[in-house]
Amino acid sequence: MSAPMIEFDRVSKIYQSGGGPVNALHDVSLSIAAGEFIALIGPSGCGKSTLMRLVGDLEQPSAGGLRVRGKTAHQARLDRDYGIVFQSPVLYEWRSIRKNVELPLEIMGQPGPQRHARASELLRLVGLSDFGDAYPHQLSGGMQQRAAIARALSFEPAILLMDEPFGALDEITRERMQLELLSIWDGGPQRTTVIFVTHSIPEAVFLADRVVVMSPRPGRVERLVTVDLPRPRSFETREDPRFFALVTEVREGLREH
Amino acid sequence: MAEKPLPSLQRITPAAPASATPGASLRAAVRRSLPVAGVIVTLLIAWEASKLAFGISDQRLPHLGAIIEVMFTRTQGGTGNILLAQMLLNAWSTFQVALGGFLLGGMLGFGLAVLFMQLPMLERGLMPYVIGSQTVPILAIAPMVVVGLGRMGAPSWAAKITVAAYLTFFPVTIGMLRGLRAASPMSLDLMRSYAASPAQIFWRLRLPNSLPYLFTSLKVAASASVIGAIVAELPAGAREGVGMMILNAAQSYNSRPPALYVAILAASLVGVTFYGMVALAERLIVGSQRTNGG
Repeated sequence: MSAPMIEFDRVSKIYQSGGGPVNALHDVSLSIAAGEFIALIGPSGCGKSTLMRLVGDLEQPSAGGLRVRGKTAHQARLDRDYGIVFQSPVLYEWRSIRKNVELPLEIMGQPGPQRHARASELLRLVGLSDFGDAYPHQLSGGMQQRAAIARALSFEPAILLMDEPFGALDEITRERMQLELLSIWDGGPQRTTVIFVTHSIPEAVFLADRVVVMSPRPGRVERLVTVDLPRPRSFETREDPRFFALVTEVREGLREH
Repeated sequence: MAEKPLPSLQRITPAAPASATPGASLRAAVRRSLPVAGVIVTLLIAWEASKLAFGISDQRLPHLGAIIEVMFTRTQGGTGNILLAQMLLNAWSTFQVALGGFLLGGMLGFGLAVLFMQLPMLERGLMPYVIGSQTVPILAIAPMVVVGLGRMGAPSWAAKITVAAYLTFFPVTIGMLRGLRAASPMSLDLMRSYAASPAQIFWRLRLPNSLPYLFTSLKVAASASVIGAIVAELPAGAREGVGMMILNAAQSYNSRPPALYVAILAASLVGVTFYGMVALAERLIVGSQRTNGG
């Protein structure tokens, strides 16, 4: 294996709050390889979102070292090394879906025709070809989140950060979105490195190569579960006995503390 | 802003009812204006009915017919126009001043809001004075501005516009500042993740996101600038304008009550027209894209 894509070296994060300092993360060490799909799971308040936000340089560690593609997280952000998807789609309501997908390309200074072509390609990829001219409020929650994924992928970042992206969706839409995400991720010439924050055990197991099980306050890595289910994964994967065994393993990891 | 509903796909299918037959859209327009017309008719009936029921004298409340009659009588002074024509000319004069004040005050308010957003220190230092400026009655400010600018050789319209702008800039500053700060933390995180420059964040996020707030404050400002324009006409000794009309009609109220009502009508005509223009601009710029655009 080559140099890790993302490397946490004894990273801690302490928030200053009204009631004194809060230990959000404590001594987290974790190495993520290029092209790996990592799921972060744990109870609320375990710092899994914080861990993801550190990679994105949206927050800074209080102690320890963090390298993203061999650089500081700050430099990686300036180099536009990652795309991000939040729990809510965060589409700009005054822009059409197409213009939302083009937003990062616009900021990065890509010329119009190129942006347009890339947006068309992505809208097709996420099944929104007919909705490019629609405005966000005209779309369902699942469709809005698809647009948000297209936007994050538009500039082909090496890393995709996803913070409970399907958390607000109903179970049926959610399972379909999981499959779609995997097919997009599998489909490209080169697999994007994904950090996927979730509080759903089956979702973590279904999607990931490795599940990072975290414990609450102070957040630390409780257990690493390697998911050896074959890819491409499908609806049948969820009925595989091995899938259930892994779900149980993750669940036990969550119960340990 | 409230959570938006997630409508079904039918709303964006090609056969949307928005561009239906012209007859249907006419019917919709009639249905929309029906309540307004209903209120006007009710008020007019109540006017005459209360005169009848409580025996209110013509001195205190003239007949509607008398007001309309006055509108079509020739004025005594110079031009010999009927009062209605005179009223429209005065309304137009005041409208121009109000528009000038609205534009000047709007730009000032916008500029201050942008400045305050970028430099919180400046906001802390200046905001108390901005608020304080609005606690001084406009009636006291107007003569100072008119005399002061007059001494400096500025034309009287400049003084009137300044007074109108004085009332206009405040709601725009407050509303715009609120709007510029309304961008959600996540929408800002998104911009950070693209390593967007402060200018890009301003033009592509903060400014468009603030438009509903801006238009709400512009609507308040539109009415305020009309008040400012009317008040400024009084010390300016204007020979035309709604302010002059009100002043003259008030002085001759004892002998000719209906004239004051015509002047009031002129004032509300200017105000409503102005408000309508801002509301229309809002519909054109914001309305088509958002569910809750104001």
